[in-house]
Amino acid sequence: MSSDVRFTDFKSDKQPTWCPGCGDFGTMNGMMKALANTGNDPDNTFVVAGIGCSGKIGTYMHSYALHGVHGRALPVGTGVKMARPDVEVMVAGGDGDGYSIGAGHFVHAVRRNVDMTYVVMDNRIYGLTKGQASPTSRSDFETSTTPEGPKQPPVNPLALALASGASFIAQSFSSDAMRHAEIVQEAIEHDGFGFVNVFSPCVTFNDVDTYDYFRDNLVDLQEDEDHDPNDYEAAKEVILDSDKEYQGVMYQDENSVPYHEQHGVTEDMSEIPDGAPEDAMDLVREFY
Amino acid sequence: MAEDLNWAVGGEAGDGIDSTGKIFAQALARAGRHVFTSKDFASRIRGGYTAYKIRTSVDKVQSVVDRLDILVALTQRTIDENLDELHEGSAIIYDGERSWDAEIPEEMTAVDVPLKSLAEEAGGAIMRNIVALGAACEITGFDVEYLDEALEKRFGGKGSKIVENNKEAARAGQEYVQENYDLDHLGYNIDTTDNDYVLLNGNEAVGMGALAAGCRFYAGYPITPATSIMEYLTERIEDYGGHVVQAEDELSAINMSLGAARAGARSMTATSGAGIDLMTETFGLVATSETPLVIADIQRSGPSTGMPTKQEQGDLNMALYGGHGEVPRFVVAPTSITECFWKTVEAFNLAEKYQTPVFLVSDLAMSVTEQTFPPEAFDMDEVEIDRGKLVDEDEVDEWLDAQGHFRAHAVTEDGVSPRAIPGTTDAAHMSTGLEHDELGRRTEEEDERVHQVNKRNRKVETARENEDWDYREFGNPDADNLIISWGSNEGALIEALDYLEDDGIDVRVISVPYIFPRPDLTEEIEAAEETIVVECNATGQFADVIEHDVLTRVKRINKYTGVRFKADELADDITDKLTEEVPAQ
Ligand SMILES: Cc1ncc(C[n+]2csc(CCOP(=O)(O)OP(=O)(O)O)c2C)c(N)n1
Ligand code: SF4
Repeated sequence: MSSDVRFTDFKSDKQPTWCPGCGDFGTMNGMMKALANTGNDPDNTFVVAGIGCSGKIGTYMHSYALHGVHGRALPVGTGVKMARPDVEVMVAGGDGDGYSIGAGHFVHAVRRNVDMTYVVMDNRIYGLTKGQASPTSRSDFETSTTPEGPKQPPVNPLALALASGASFIAQSFSSDAMRHAEIVQEAIEHDGFGFVNVFSPCVTFNDVDTYDYFRDNLVDLQEDEDHDPNDYEAAKEVILDSDKEYQGVMYQDENSVPYHEQHGVTEDMSEIPDGAPEDAMDLVREFY
Repeated sequence: MAEDLNWAVGGEAGDGIDSTGKIFAQALARAGRHVFTSKDFASRIRGGYTAYKIRTSVDKVQSVVDRLDILVALTQRTIDENLDELHEGSAIIYDGERSWDAEIPEEMTAVDVPLKSLAEEAGGAIMRNIVALGAACEITGFDVEYLDEALEKRFGGKGSKIVENNKEAARAGQEYVQENYDLDHLGYNIDTTDNDYVLLNGNEAVGMGALAAGCRFYAGYPITPATSIMEYLTERIEDYGGHVVQAEDELSAINMSLGAARAGARSMTATSGAGIDLMTETFGLVATSETPLVIADIQRSGPSTGMPTKQEQGDLNMALYGGHGEVPRFVVAPTSITECFWKTVEAFNLAEKYQTPVFLVSDLAMSVTEQTFPPEAFDMDEVEIDRGKLVDEDEVDEWLDAQGHFRAHAVTEDGVSPRAIPGTTDAAHMSTGLEHDELGRRTEEEDERVHQVNKRNRKVETARENEDWDYREFGNPDADNLIISWGSNEGALIEALDYLEDDGIDVRVISVPYIFPRPDLTEEIEAAEETIVVECNATGQFADVIEHDVLTRVKRINKYTGVRFKADELADDITDKLTEEVPAQ
């Protein structure tokens, strides 16, 4: 790990093909800043990305990375972290990727409390497939596949995380650059699963959950002196409050012990002997 | 009396049938006898008929036969289910005090032992099966002290009191038979030898092979009959600095394993039928991201939930063709329990040398069958590890492009690119399921696409040339008739040779552990008058690929009842097939 890493070291020289103005630019910049601020460098960082406009992030960042199949980024991240507790693992994807096809994995990654950071670029729509409803779309949000709106309440990802036993729950807004980077940084520093739902507007397909909407409606928990993220009940109140949109760290469990520590996994699993391990014949003798 | 002895214990699932059988099998192995076990079980935890069968001999045994000599019957159903295997010399041990009126055909010897009462006297009804084992020792003239050793192994961890009670229970059964029956006319007499044998099943051999090969990460989701690999590794992998994760489903399991593999660990997942279906989504990603991953499929009867506890070799097409698009891969299918070990080691080497998915295809019969081997059959000194083109810091430079980017998917002559794992300075790169250039960046450029597809496929060609895609051979190499088999049928085939020989039929047997790439059998088939492909499926999936390779028709023996081949039955099938007309060309 070198101390002179700058956030631009995490930038690849591939130009993003996101639409001009897409929230994902800000989301990515904040992630890169947070990684650099926490003393990581590209050679010890692994970024796992999902599928969607959001999932392209791995291409535009410079680090070890895997861009997998739709919805399965969290299991990949889990595998990386288990094999290499020494590596900083960051997983990113969209709301469709994470809360629809990958919802099952989300619940279980949260529950396992694997020490990685999960950034969901929540634009409340499917961007890459050109504008269908996502699990976080409003129930009256008209799209090509839901001409009268989904007519179902949206998923509340923060509540889903809380109910699954999350140890760190936060929300940020990609265009509030400083705060967003700060919040992601806290997630990285958290010992365990650091979950950040990022409002990352889609300027092409979502004309409801826009920059203006978030700017006008976002309440920053940092400005609420009463909010103590270590207070579960307070977190619950904020998370279940359907009247407001919040940013900040909603909840953090001070006693969080990450999965690999709970299970005594500390070694770098990439190191193996040249032949069978020395005492391997014991494995055979066991069957006497 | 035949040289080998066939013994079984049967009852309801939950009656401790498995552990009873295992204890007896271990006692026999301790006595230097060869053992081959098989299990009949239903897909229920309680209430289903279940039996544990042991065939034992001083000579090697590697198949089941249609004969039962000693049967410990805890239920009437045990007797009914096995009636066609029982014969005049069979002895049936049962508990006459129990509420069922045992119906035992007259010609067989009924040995009524008050299993439960004797067990209670020895310290608890739970030991009634051990009483039965003691009785079985007496009937067969098998020294009960070998049983003591097995009881110590089994219950040693639970304290000496439990061990002593069990030994007492065995003695009680032995003495009861001694005092109440004169069974010398049955003529059973079990010879022992000084040989040391280990007793293990196919899944244990896979797990052991994985550890020997340096597997450090395993993610899986429970499914019969693959789960016991996960259970085996769970208990041991941490001693080697590894870890097993029980994932939330198979999609997760394969993706976790893929993550660990990309991070540099030797990594594996295993499943069966329905689980392989779910994993299929990720096959292509493993191949295009060029991740070394071992994916084991322990086949069971399909399709759908099929017969979860029954034998089949129906997933060969899946292993060969599963996944959308065209997925380069290797398919290795062990043909014996020792091969389960060695082919697992090989699978890890192939995966890393060629950075590609390796399917390790086994089957239910192999996974649950226990067999004795001299420990040298698993000689760990023979294990070699080949990590392929894993580059370290000093080698990175060779693979950087003019801008200093690591060419993780470099187009090379042999199709294999350098592999760098996280932490390797200056080699940070991205991998993706999208088509990509040498650097791993998305491209749809026609030439790049063709280069990458060719590159990945070239790995298979390189491996085809550089590795031994051999087969094993039995019988008479000059015989006119050729039998081809894959997977666990090998043992039954080898034993069938004896039966065939008795009938004056001479055959050559080829057992193929490599499905893809596979040995070219053109010459062998052309030299043969008749070729028969033997497999446990209805459509003859291996026969199809052989016909495709050789461009000629072969005969087929297919069994898809859910039960593995038996040696004597297979000999009859072969005899019938050899006299059958050749199908129209
Ligand atoms: C198994 C599978 N099903 C469907 C798709 C098609 N698909 C690609 S992206 C996507 C939705 C992405 O939405 P979201 O996660 O919200 O990301 P965004 O594009 O909005 O950033 C879908 C359905 C796919 N790639 N794989
Ligand atoms: S479609 Fe929407 S989410 Fe996708 S790049 Fe454009 S603005 Fe961003």
